[in-house]
Amino acid sequence: MILADIFELWKNAYPAGLTMLGLGTLFAVVLLIASEKLKVKQDPKVEQILESLPKIDCGGCGYAGCASYAKAVVGAPSLIGKCAPGGDAVCEKIAEILNLQISGGGHLLRPIIHCRAHTEDKTVLAKYKGIGTCLAANALANVQACKFGCLGLSDCVASCKFDALKIIDGLATVDYVKCTGCSACVSACPRDLIEMVPFSQEDMMTVACSSQESGKNTRQMCKVGCIGCGLCAKLTDLFTIENNCAKMDYEKYAPSEATEAAMKKCPTKVIVTKGPVAK
Amino acid sequence: METVTTLLLAFISIVIVNNLVLTKFLGICPYLGVSGRIDMAFGMGMAVTFVVTISGTLTWMIDNWILMPLGLEVTRYICFILVIAGAVQLVEMYLRKFFPMLYESFGIFLPLITTNCAILGLCLFINLWGIDSLVEAVVLSFGAGVGFTMAICIMAGIREKLKFVDVPDCFAGAPITLITAGILTLAFMGFAGMIK
Repeated sequence: MILADIFELWKNAYPAGLTMLGLGTLFAVVLLIASEKLKVKQDPKVEQILESLPKIDCGGCGYAGCASYAKAVVGAPSLIGKCAPGGDAVCEKIAEILNLQISGGGHLLRPIIHCRAHTEDKTVLAKYKGIGTCLAANALANVQACKFGCLGLSDCVASCKFDALKIIDGLATVDYVKCTGCSACVSACPRDLIEMVPFSQEDMMTVACSSQESGKNTRQMCKVGCIGCGLCAKLTDLFTIENNCAKMDYEKYAPSEATEAAMKKCPTKVIVTKGPVAK
Repeated sequence: METVTTLLLAFISIVIVNNLVLTKFLGICPYLGVSGRIDMAFGMGMAVTFVVTISGTLTWMIDNWILMPLGLEVTRYICFILVIAGAVQLVEMYLRKFFPMLYESFGIFLPLITTNCAILGLCLFINLWGIDSLVEAVVLSFGAGVGFTMAICIMAGIREKLKFVDVPDCFAGAPITLITAGILTLAFMGFAGMIK
């Protein structure tokens, strides 16, 4: 009885099965031919390099994503080392795949924000209620007295894929533990406050201000701005005064008594250390 | 002359009056997912148009020349899915070879055309509406693609403008997109009744 039922079922079902088999085979053949005809020749090295990259598509290297960087680095090996989040390990891997030898290399680049004015230090001329981005606020003249200082509206925070930037009391602050040095924030800041600095020491000393106003004006607008007095430049030649603002020569920096003294004597305490330890 | 009129009416009908996205609510996933920028939306529309034209035509042939004579209508769905998946694979290979930039920017949305219900919907509608000439099936399939492209491009245009608008916080993002889609649909309701 049951056997007859199964046989009956088979008799009804087999045309459907055969049709599907036929159609499936037809499509398989068509796709097989197409895949041969439309084959994209790809260098196996590109795939290997892509495997070793962090694959976060941060764009720090200047390419759209890890895939396009992998392609570029095969064509031009001089691009090795552009992957900041990957660091040395990735550089070595890429070099190994490309059969190259690398040596040396500079120090890690990390961003430093050249402003240290928190909300209570700033002079605000009018309350800003417009579009909540620095880019928009920067287009207006009188949002904040200081034309050079941090606006604190989070453009850099939004650009950071690693959650390494935060606005603390109206000032962008870098978390150097989380930062990978992809430099996305540098181009996000409409006031060019963020600079990538080679961290030759664990913590770097820097001038956390970029005001080019005269000392008197800076003083009026901000409690913690650099007034360009030149005291630090007299104590050590690491500092120079340019456009009413002290600048640090990061290439030569090493902690010494002179730099400590400059930091202590700075009247507005605008010379600070930044880094994973100092914060 | 009569056939030309019929074809023209069928085309206008599927593009505007019976637009798959705006009146049948099919293909909402890419409609909301890839409509962030006009160039991407247009590329997606082109890919869908290509796939839907090929699969609409092929499914009509398979349906009318193989399945119906053999009385195998039950296998319609699985056959149609097979055709669509095959066509998408073809598009994917073609794009990868000749438009690598477009291929990269589509990412996951390209293989997802396989599961775009607008395409399967159109193939089944052609059967449901009792279309009995191959030419009309081709025109309808192509028109469905054009209609999808139009809808997604309009949506992308609106959404590009929406980025600069001060939307209340509770509406920002997906809610305002859905409301926009609803209003757009209402607008297209005005065409209903233009062609019976």
